[in-house]
Amino acid sequence: MLDDKVKRFAIGKISEYYATTAKFAIPSLEKREFGIGNIKKIDARHLCFNSEQEFRGYLVSNTPLFVSHSAAFYERPGATPIDKKGWLGAELIFDLDLHADGKYGVYAILDKVREDAINLVEKFLVDDFGVDRKNIIIVFSGNRGYHIHVRDPDYFDLGIEERREIADYINGTGLNYRNFFEEIEIPGRKLTKKVGPKPSDHGYRGRFARAVIEKLEKEPKTISTVFSNDEKRTKFVDGIINGDWNKTSIADIIERLEPIAKELPVHSIDTDVGVTQDVSKLIRVPNSIHGETGLIAKIVDDITTFKPLDDAIAFDISGKKTITITFTEDVPKLDFGKTSYPEFKKDEKKELPEALAMFFMLKGSAIIS
Amino acid sequence: MELADFCVKYPFSKKAKELLDSENIQLSEEIVSKGLSRIKNALAGDTSRSSAFHKSDKVEEVASYAAARMILGYMKNRYLTNRFAVAEAKRANHYLSKEDSAIMNEVAAEFGIVSENESDGKLLVPIPTFVKFAPKSIDYKLINRNVHDGKVELIYREKIRLTEEAVKKRVEQIPLVKNASESIKKAAEDLKKDLPKLEPMRTITFKEGDNPPCIEKLLEQVKKHENLNHQARWSLAVYLVGKGMGIEKVVSLYSNLPDFNEKITRYQLEHIKKRGYTVPGCSTMLTYGLCCAECRIGNPLNWKSKEERMNWHKEREKNA
Repeated sequence: MLDDKVKRFAIGKISEYYATTAKFAIPSLEKREFGIGNIKKIDARHLCFNSEQEFRGYLVSNTPLFVSHSAAFYERPGATPIDKKGWLGAELIFDLDLHADGKYGVYAILDKVREDAINLVEKFLVDDFGVDRKNIIIVFSGNRGYHIHVRDPDYFDLGIEERREIADYINGTGLNYRNFFEEIEIPGRKLTKKVGPKPSDHGYRGRFARAVIEKLEKEPKTISTVFSNDEKRTKFVDGIINGDWNKTSIADIIERLEPIAKELPVHSIDTDVGVTQDVSKLIRVPNSIHGETGLIAKIVDDITTFKPLDDAIAFDISGKKTITITFTEDVPKLDFGKTSYPEFKKDEKKELPEALAMFFMLKGSAIIS
Repeated sequence: MELADFCVKYPFSKKAKELLDSENIQLSEEIVSKGLSRIKNALAGDTSRSSAFHKSDKVEEVASYAAARMILGYMKNRYLTNRFAVAEAKRANHYLSKEDSAIMNEVAAEFGIVSENESDGKLLVPIPTFVKFAPKSIDYKLINRNVHDGKVELIYREKIRLTEEAVKKRVEQIPLVKNASESIKKAAEDLKKDLPKLEPMRTITFKEGDNPPCIEKLLEQVKKHENLNHQARWSLAVYLVGKGMGIEKVVSLYSNLPDFNEKITRYQLEHIKKRGYTVPGCSTMLTYGLCCAECRIGNPLNWKSKEERMNWHKEREKNA
């Protein structure tokens, strides 16, 4: 539970953010259900607003720590229970996050989630699913991951089972790369020939062939020391380009490639497959504040350069406004607002820039001195 | 093709509805009784072709489809509706397989299944269309398909299969009929008489938590008369037989399936028992798309019920 004084202070600051800086862009806002939370991420749902102005007004005066809206559009978003709302369709939403040890462990591996987000958008949504980039909104979750909103109307009316199919495709459920290969008999001889995917193939097949070639060129030894030999490696690679996987003497070559196949899907959506499937799910409002960090659940313009702990900061980080806090537990070193901070110890008192002080307090690691 | 012929083959189509409207057909007692036979034939697994010859017979046959839907809409019995839908969809598939591609494409387009031709004879359909109408089978899992630029590659025969699924889905959507005519009510009574024979006894003696989540889910689907794909049926059957359930009981359970065929089911089960097939392991279940939890037990048969787990702990404490 958040310390009362911290909570009151945070609510005041967040309210100010909603009154002044927050930029919302919620398509079909009036058709969405909203949910708010203070103790949990969602304590109350079935809220609805007629305009952005009304929504903003609510946030300024009622200021919850978390605010979410539905991926779905409804005729009557405020109606209860859910089946009375009149479901009209829903965006596809993918929730990517990673878990790590301790409260702060995850901030060291945020780049890994970012890589997955790029992979998901570029390889899956754009290449395979043909979604126009302008219909893909990448949002930093405000804590340790990304939410990808797919606003392509072609996908709006899919049901739960159908969304599951799509999630399965992306996280690789049921992927068996051995099915890419066929044993073909060579006429007149007692031999068979392995015919497999080509780098020019679409979807997983092509991706697999390309990944194998890349591995052969960059880290050949991880497959077999045989491939340190340039001639043998080139011969094998040239075969793969034509879908001929026989140009090597390694008998169990296909088995050895399993680790490469395992790397193809986007694994970090595993734990949240539910979000993609659940057509009545609520998702954090883009550009709202995440009440556990004080960071903005920010709409990302350029994912390749985005650094959450530098770019999603809502409050003053310049040092013009500072807060003196007392740590209630040890916290590790942290890069925040383009500055490296050392570790802090329990009971240590420290004057810190407002945004960072808020971050530690909302994480439950410090209180106002 | 004559309009009436088209409508006889595809009574779920817009054209068929228009035909009935234009001919101003009333659901006479005779037509209702034909509707009733249509349902009974579906239950018997009979999906044979029409033998109507005269135009009036053809129109009546189209009307019998509408009458059958009225009866089902009045009865609100999911089992009957699902079996009817499966039979109608299979019949449509038989017709479509013999049809000119132009007609097949016309029927498919009714459901929004529109494809582009690729140079090598392959067809491309948009992913949303594909996932909406793909049968629940491992071959149709998106992950096993060639996917590119929002399209899924398929062959002509598979497009027909997608259309069959679309027909099934449409036929399943039957609006409730509240104010039914006397003849509809009578037909419903007639069908109800058959129901105890049709609707099987559910003699499963499992308690909650006796089986792993994947198996629980399959059992639940069977009880709801959902149409399981081959891998699902097979895995569940091998599991149940492996757990020592008698063949009669499994047959009785499987009679819940909308396209249940007693002879084939019994034959397969005896085969499983005789050959002693092993239950597919968790990784295979995952490939089949049947795994729905991470139990880490390696094989569904390794699942321990709550009671078994308690006993195991007690044993261990005793020995410790």
